[in-house]
Amino acid sequence: MQLNPYIPITMKLVKNLVETEDKLINTFTLEFLNQQDEENFKYMPGQFAELSAYGHGEAPFGIATSPTEPGILKFSVAKVGCVSNALHLMEEGTMVGVRGPMGNYYPLEKFKGKNVVIIGGGFAFTTLRSLAKYMLDDKHRGDYGDITVIYGARNPGLLLYKEELAEWENNPNINLITTIDRPAEGWTKHVGFIPSITEQIAPSSVDTYAVVCGPPAMIKFTLPVLEKLNFTPESIYTSLEMRMKCGLGICGRCNIGTEYVCKDGPVFSMAQLKELPNEY
Amino acid sequence: MKISKEKFGQAFDALVAEYQIIAPVSDANGIAFKGVKSFSEVKQDYLNSKLPPKAFFFPQHEKLMSYKKEGKEVTVKSELKVENTVLFGIRPCDAKGMQLLDMVFKNDQYTDPYYFERRDKSVIIGVACNKIAPTCFCSSFGLSPAGSEGSDIFLIDLGDSYDVEVITEKGKALAARFEALSELSADEQALVDKIKDAVTLSKVDVSTTTSKLDKMFNNPYWDTLQEKCIGCNVCSFSCPTCHCFDISEEVRKNEGTRVRTWDACMAPLFTLHGSGHNPRDNKKARWRQRMMHKFNYFVHNNGSMSCVGCGRCIKGCPVNMDIRQVIDGANKAELVVE
Amino acid sequence: MSKIINDIRETARQLLAEGKVDVVIGYEKGSLPLKATPCFVHSSEGVDSLIWDETCENNLATYAAKTPGKKAIVAKGCDSRALAVLLQENQLVRDDLYIIGVSCHGVIDQRRIGAEVGEILEASISDGKISVKGMEGDKEYLFTEVKDATCRTCRYPNPVMEDLHIGDTIEVAQGAAAFADVEALENKSDNERQEYFKEQMSKCIRCYACRNACPLCYCQECFVDCNSPRWLTGGVNRAENLLFQAGRVMHLAGRCVDCGACSRACPQGVDIRALNRKMTKDVYVMYNHESGISEEGKPALNEYSANDPEQFLVKE
Ligand SMILES: Cc1cc2nc3c(=O)[nH]c(=O)nc-3n(C[C@H](O)[C@H](O)[C@H](O)COP(=O)(O)OP(=O)(O)OC[C@H]3O[C@@H](n4cnc5c(N)ncnc54)[C@H](O)[C@@H]3O)c2cc1C
Ligand code: SF4
Ligand code: SF4
Ligand code: SF4
Ligand code: SF4
Ligand code: SF4
Ligand code: FES
Repeated sequence: MQLNPYIPITMKLVKNLVETEDKLINTFTLEFLNQQDEENFKYMPGQFAELSAYGHGEAPFGIATSPTEPGILKFSVAKVGCVSNALHLMEEGTMVGVRGPMGNYYPLEKFKGKNVVIIGGGFAFTTLRSLAKYMLDDKHRGDYGDITVIYGARNPGLLLYKEELAEWENNPNINLITTIDRPAEGWTKHVGFIPSITEQIAPSSVDTYAVVCGPPAMIKFTLPVLEKLNFTPESIYTSLEMRMKCGLGICGRCNIGTEYVCKDGPVFSMAQLKELPNEY
Repeated sequence: MKISKEKFGQAFDALVAEYQIIAPVSDANGIAFKGVKSFSEVKQDYLNSKLPPKAFFFPQHEKLMSYKKEGKEVTVKSELKVENTVLFGIRPCDAKGMQLLDMVFKNDQYTDPYYFERRDKSVIIGVACNKIAPTCFCSSFGLSPAGSEGSDIFLIDLGDSYDVEVITEKGKALAARFEALSELSADEQALVDKIKDAVTLSKVDVSTTTSKLDKMFNNPYWDTLQEKCIGCNVCSFSCPTCHCFDISEEVRKNEGTRVRTWDACMAPLFTLHGSGHNPRDNKKARWRQRMMHKFNYFVHNNGSMSCVGCGRCIKGCPVNMDIRQVIDGANKAELVVE
Repeated sequence: MSKIINDIRETARQLLAEGKVDVVIGYEKGSLPLKATPCFVHSSEGVDSLIWDETCENNLATYAAKTPGKKAIVAKGCDSRALAVLLQENQLVRDDLYIIGVSCHGVIDQRRIGAEVGEILEASISDGKISVKGMEGDKEYLFTEVKDATCRTCRYPNPVMEDLHIGDTIEVAQGAAAFADVEALENKSDNERQEYFKEQMSKCIRCYACRNACPLCYCQECFVDCNSPRWLTGGVNRAENLLFQAGRVMHLAGRCVDCGACSRACPQGVDIRALNRKMTKDVYVMYNHESGISEEGKPALNEYSANDPEQFLVKE
C-alpha cells in the first residue's frame, strides 16, 4: 500500500473491450507502468480497487484478474453512472488511476484441501473469475479438491469472459456449468435460474466451501438450496457491495452494523452476516 | 500552578511568530474558532463555539490531490502544507471529541495522512467551562466541564489568571514558554476545586444504552422516533465526533482536484448504490444508523461512545430533535423479540 | 389551556377515533424553552400532547407529501398556502388531507432573543408578553417586538384552505402587497448589496436545512445533489453557496409562499429570505401573482397568459 492511501497509482488502459451483447459491460485491461507499482499492488482474489476516471471521479470495482496473471489488472464494469460511463468512453492508451488493493479476500487458506463450489449470477462474476483462475493455476491447483463453477446470466450474450468459459468447458481441472434464464437459439447448455440449477446439480457439501455472488434476489433464493444440501453458514461465502468512497473504513458510508464493508469485507461468510443487521 | 493573564497574553502573542493560533472569537453569528494574531482578540467569556473545532483537522472541504490531463497522459500531484498550530480555548467536550476522531482516522489498517498531518502539528490548550449551558450534558459520558482529557495543556480561568495543568509531553514543550508560574492562593485553589467539581445540569443515563441497542435493531421504537426529522446535515455538521465525508472531483477544463467534503448519514444519497438499490432508503433506517453508530457500533469498535454531550445538535436542529430524549427513549423502549 | 388547544386536541381525537385519518400532524412542546416541535399523533391517546402558540414555527406542509396515508395537518396561513401549491403541483391528494386551520398572529424570532439574553434557560408567554430568563440576563418582551420578520409582512395569517377552522380569524387590511424590505435592499448600491450577500453567504455551511425545511423543495433529486452533470461542487465558499441559494430561489420562483421556514431552520442565521422576497416581489409585480392563495390556479411560471410581461425577450 502507498504511503498516502488516497492517492491512486497511474495505470494505462490497454484494452477497452465490450464484454456483453447489450454493450453495458466493458472489460478494461490496465497495465502497470512500472515494477514498483506492481510490487506494491499485491492482491488476492476477492479484493477490489477504486478506479479513477480523471475528470469524473472514483468508484470501486472488483479485481477480475488473478494475482497469477502478472503485469495487468482487469475490471469488468457495468455502465450505471458518472464514473462507469466515463470509463466506458475511454480510449485505449488513456491513463487511469487505481487505488488499492482494498478489502479482504476469499479465504483461500481455508479452502486448501477442500472442494470449492463457485456460484455466480450476472456480472458479479468478476472476482469469482479471479478466484477460479487463481485456484486453476499450476502452482495452486494441487491445493484444492474439485472446483465446480455454476454461472448464469439472463441470456448467452450477457455471460462474461466467453472465451475463457469455452476453455474451461474442456478443462478437466474444473467442472463448469453455465445456464441462462430462458431458452435461446443455439444454446445447448442449462436453462433455468441459478437456484434451481444448483438444486439440480446438487453439489455435495462434504468437505466443500461454496462462494456465492450475484444480484440480491439470486443470493436470496440460492441460500436455502445450499442449506438443503447441508452447507453450513460457516462454509458459504459471499462478497457484498455497498456505496463506497474512501475504501479505508473512514468515510463512514459502507457499514453494516459494526463492519465497514470496504475494510472488513467485502467477503463475508454467511455465519458472519447472520450476526449483522440485515441492512445491505 | 497559575499564570497571570497578562503574562499568559505575552507568551500567547509571542507564539504568533511560530504558530498559527486558533482561538474563540465573537463574530456576527456567535462564537467561532478562528485564526488570531493576538490574545486581545480572544473571546474569554464564552460557552462554546457554534461549530465544532474538528474542522481544523478535518476541514469541511479539503483538497486531497490535483491532476492535469494532457491527451491520454495524466499527472497527479498531492501536497499538504500544514503549519504548526495552537488550538486555544478548546472545551473539554471537543478535546475529547478529537480523541474520538483519532480512533476513526487511524484504524487497524489505515492512517489518514491529511488528518494526522494537522493533528500531529497541533497543540491543544483546553479551557474549563466556568459556565454550563442548559444543553450541555457531557457529564453523562463520564466527562466533565473541567475535564482535561484530550488537551495538551489545560487551563482554568480564574479571572485575572489561569490555573495551568500540563497534560502531555507536547503540552510540556509549549508550556515551557509560560514563565512566571506561581502557586495558587488558598482562595484560588478553592475556586479551582469548585470548577472541577461542577457537573452539567442536564444528564442522561447511558449506562445501559449500548447493551439495550444490541437488541433494538428491529425495534418499533425507530418507526415513529424520526418522523419529524427533515434529514438535513445540521446535526452531523455541528457534531464534534461525526466524521463522514464524500469524495468528489472539481474540474476545470483538463485540470481538476479531488476533494473531500463533510457528508452525513442523514442524507438519502449517502448510501445509494450505483444500481439504484439503497440499503438505508428511509429516515427510519438513517436515524437508527445515527443512534446505533454513536451509541453502539462505535462502542463495539472503539470502546467508547461517539458523543461527548456538547449539545450542538440539540441547539441546531430545526425541528428540535433532542438526542437526550432519543437516548432516554431507547433506554425505556420495550424490547420485542428480534 | 387555551380554547384553541383544546379544540385542536378534540378535533384530533375525533379524527383518529373515527378512523378518518391515520395521523395528525401538529405541534407539541419542545425540549428547549420557546421551542415547539412537530408532533405526529397516531392514536387518540396521544392527542393531549398537541399544543398551539407563538412557538409553532415549523411549516408542517413539509411533511404532507412524505407522510403516507390519510393525514390531518394543523395549518397556519402559510402552511395552508404551501399545501395549496403542493396540490396545484399534484404532489398531494386532497382527499387524503384534512386541514385543521388555525389563524396565526405570528411566531417568535428566537434568534433575536438569544442574541440578547444568551442561552435561554426559561421562558413563558402570556398576554402578548414573553418573559425570558437567559444566561446573560433576564428580559421581558412584547410579542410584537420579537415577531419573526416573515410574520411582520404576512398577508395571509388565515388559512386559505381548510376543512375546519379553529379559533377566531384575523382581520387583514386589504390592499397591495408591500415590499419595503426588498426596496431597502434594491436601493442600496451594487457594492453594498454585494457586500451584504457576500457576508450572508460566507456563513452558510451547506447543511441544506433550508431546503429540507421548505415544503416546496420536494424534488426527488435536487440539483445540488445531481452528479451528472454536476451543477455545483461541494465547495463551501461564498461563490458556491450563492450559486446554491440562487438556484434554489429560481426553482421557487412563483412557488415560494414566504413562510420563512428556510430562514428559521438555518442554524447559521443566513438571510435566505432576502433573496426569496426579491423574487416574490418580482413575481408579484410582473405577473400579479401570489403563490398558493387558493387551491385552484397554477404557480405563476407554470401558466402562460397573454398579459405576461416579456421583458426578457429581445425586442427589435
Ligand atoms: C466492493 C465492490 C465491488 C464492485 N465491483 C464491481 C464490478 O466488478 N463491476 C461493476 O460494474 N460494479 C462493481 N461495483 C459497483 C460499482 O462500484 C458501482 O456501480 C459504481 O460505484 C457506480 O459508480 P458511477 O460513478 O458509475 O455511478 P454513480 O454516478 O455514482 O451512480 C449511479 C446511479 O446512482 C445514483 N446516484 C449516486 N450518486 C448520485 C448523486 N450524487 N447524484 C445523483 N445520483 C446519484 C444515480 O441514480 C445514478 O444513476 C462494486 C462495488 C463495490 C462496493
Ligand atoms: S438536525 Fe434535526 S432535522 Fe436535521 S437531520 Fe438532524 S435530527 Fe434531522
Ligand atoms: S451527538 Fe450531539 S451532543 Fe453528542 S457530540 Fe454530537 S453534537 Fe454533541
Ligand atoms: S454515520 Fe452518521 S452519526 Fe455516525 S459519524 Fe457518520 S454522520 Fe455521524
Ligand atoms: S432547490 Fe430546486 S432542485 Fe433543489 S429541491 Fe428545491 S426546487 Fe428542487
Ligand atoms: S440552512 Fe443556512 S447554513 Fe444550511 S444550507 Fe441553508 S443557508 Fe446554508
Ligand atoms: S468506503 Fe469509506 S468507510 Fe467504507
